[in-house]
Amino acid sequence: MIGRTELLWDAYDAFMMSPAPQPATDAVARPSRPYGAPDYGWGHRGYPTISVAREAAEAFCAWLSTQTGKRYRLPTEAEWAHAASLARGAASPPIDSLAWHARNSSGRTHAAKAKAPDALGLYDLFGNAAEWVTTGDGQRVTRGGSFRDAPGAVGPTARAVQDENWNERDPQIPKSRWWLSDGPFVGFRIVRELP
Amino acid sequence: MSTRRDFVKGAAAVAAGAILPTPHFPLPTSNAATIRVGLVGCGGRGTGAARDCLRASEGVELVAMGDLFPDRLASARTNLAKAAAAEPALAAKYNVTDSRSFSGFDAYQKVIDSGVDMVLLATPPAFRPQHLAAAIAAGKHVFMEKPVAVDATGIRSVLASSELARQKSLGLVAGTQRRHDAGYRAVIERVHGGAIGDVVSGQVYWNQGGLWMNARKPEWTDTEWQLRNWLYFTWASGDHIVEQHIHNIDVANWVIGAHPIRAVGVGGRQSRTDPAYGHIFDHFAIDFEYPNGARVMSMCRQINGSADHVGERFTGTRGHTDAAKTIEGLSPFKFEGESRNPYVQEHVDLVASIRAGTPLNEGRQVAESTLSAIMGREAAYTGQVIEWDALLNAKQDIVPPGVAFGSLKVPSVPMPGQTKLERTWAES
Repeated sequence: MIGRTELLWDAYDAFMMSPAPQPATDAVARPSRPYGAPDYGWGHRGYPTISVAREAAEAFCAWLSTQTGKRYRLPTEAEWAHAASLARGAASPPIDSLAWHARNSSGRTHAAKAKAPDALGLYDLFGNAAEWVTTGDGQRVTRGGSFRDAPGAVGPTARAVQDENWNERDPQIPKSRWWLSDGPFVGFRIVRELP
Repeated sequence: MSTRRDFVKGAAAVAAGAILPTPHFPLPTSNAATIRVGLVGCGGRGTGAARDCLRASEGVELVAMGDLFPDRLASARTNLAKAAAAEPALAAKYNVTDSRSFSGFDAYQKVIDSGVDMVLLATPPAFRPQHLAAAIAAGKHVFMEKPVAVDATGIRSVLASSELARQKSLGLVAGTQRRHDAGYRAVIERVHGGAIGDVVSGQVYWNQGGLWMNARKPEWTDTEWQLRNWLYFTWASGDHIVEQHIHNIDVANWVIGAHPIRAVGVGGRQSRTDPAYGHIFDHFAIDFEYPNGARVMSMCRQINGSADHVGERFTGTRGHTDAAKTIEGLSPFKFEGESRNPYVQEHVDLVASIRAGTPLNEGRQVAESTLSAIMGREAAYTGQVIEWDALLNAKQDIVPPGVAFGSLKVPSVPMPGQTKLERTWAES
C-alpha cells in the first residue's frame, strides 16, 4: 500500500516531538532540531514535510513501524515508478490538473490534496515535493519532480540525484544528517508492506 | 585573568583616546601572503565557519583552535580533518597541530598569541566583547559570529573595539550573513534607491520549534551545564530574540538605514518551561519605532509544533518587498542572479577587503543590530518602553563576573513589571 498523500508535517511533528527511548538506538533516533524554518513558512499542518534527508524519512518509517507494529518504509524506485505509470492513467490528464510545478506553484509547496487525484487515487505524486525512493545501489534519489521544476519535468519519469547543493548552506560542521538546508523541494511518501 | 569590567574600562579608555593605538603592521596586501587563521569556539558553527573561511579564499590557512571544553576541541579537529580528507582543496589549508590547540577559559588568548593573523570568534556571545577586544588589541583581523554581546556593557565594549579596529585598519566582519547574500544586496540596494518609496512599516519573523538541549550529567558543575546549554541562559546567549532573531532585526535596520529608537513588547515562557531549558522566554513580539517614524513589528518563537516562518517584509509608499528576492509595486524586481553561499561569501569579502587594503569593518553595524535585539528583549522582560539612548548607557551587566567552573545560580525568569533594565548578574 502506498500513501495517498506525501507525508505531512502533522505526522512528522509527532515523530520529532515524541520522547526518544533511553538508551537511544539508531532505529528510533529523533531528528535534530532545525535552526530555522524547514517549512519555509509556506504552510505546516496539512502540508508536505520538506527539507528532510533520506535518512530522516527512513527514520520516520522506522519510528512509525515501532509505533504501529506494521511495516512502513520508503518505496523502492521500482515501486514508485510502477505506481507512477498506473497513476498517470490511460486518459493522461493535463499535468496542470494533477501537479504543482514551476508554472503554477508560485515557487512553493501547497497543501496536500489541493490538486485532483490521479488514476490511482493518489495526490501530488507528481510535483509539489519530490519524493525520496530507495535504490539498490544506495544512491540518494527523488522521483516525480517538484514545485520548482518545469511542467515537462514533473511526472512519472522525473528523477533527481542528491548533490552537494542540496545542503550547501548548512553552516555547521558536521552538516546535519537530518535536514537539507537547501532542499525545500524534497519530501517523501511512505508505503506499508502487507502481511 | 582580567575581569570583564576591567576589560570594558580599558576598551572605553582606548575609544576616548587615552591610550593611543600602538604602531602595527597590517597584513601585506599581496595575494601571495598567507593569512594564518585561528578559531576560537569549536562548536558546530565555529567549525563550520572555519571550513567556510578556508573555502572562501586562496592563501588562508587554519593553524590554531581553542575551546573551553577539551572534548569539543577534539571533536571539532576530528570533524575538520574529515572534511579536509573529503575535499583536497581544504586539506592543504588545514594545519592545526596539538601544540596550537588550546582549551580552557583562556584558550582564546592562546589562539590569539599563537602567531595568527586573523581569528574567528564563535563562542557563546557572552564572551564576544572580551575576545574581540583582545583580538583587536593584538592587531588581529576578526570574523565574529552574531550576536556580539548580551547586554549594554558588552555592546559598549564592542563599539570601542570596533573603533579601535578602524584606527588600526583591521578587518572586522560579522556573521550576519544576509549582508553578504546577493539577493538581499540587490533588493536592498534598490530599496535604498527608492524602489518602494519611503519605507513606512515592516514585519520581521523568526518563528520555529525548539532547539537542541544537552541533558545535565551528574559530573557537570553548574557552569559547565549552563555553558553546554548556553542558549537557555540570558547571560550566555542573550535569549533567542538576540541569539537568533537578530538576523531579521538586522535586515530591518539595513533596509531602513537606522537603528530603532524605541521599543515596546511582550513575551513569555509558556511552552518550554522545563528547568532543563534554563530561564529564557520562548516567544517575543516587539514593536520597534525608527527615527523616520517607520514601525517594524518583530515576532520570534521557539515552540514545538507551531508553524515556522523566518523572513522579512517591508512596505513603502510605492511598493513592498521581502528584502531577499522580490520587489512588488511601481518598480517591480525579482532577483534571478546567482546567489553564492552567504556563509562563504562573508569570508570572501573579508579577506578580499584586507588584501585590497580597505578592510571591512562591520563592528558598529552588528553592535547596533545586537543592541536593537537587546532592546526588544528588555521591552518584553521589563514591560517598559525602552529608549535606545537609555539602553545604550544603561548600567546593565548581566554576565557573571569572572566566570569559572563551579556553582552558578540560574537567574529567575524575567517578570514584566518587576525586572529592571539596569541590573547586574547578582540582581538577575
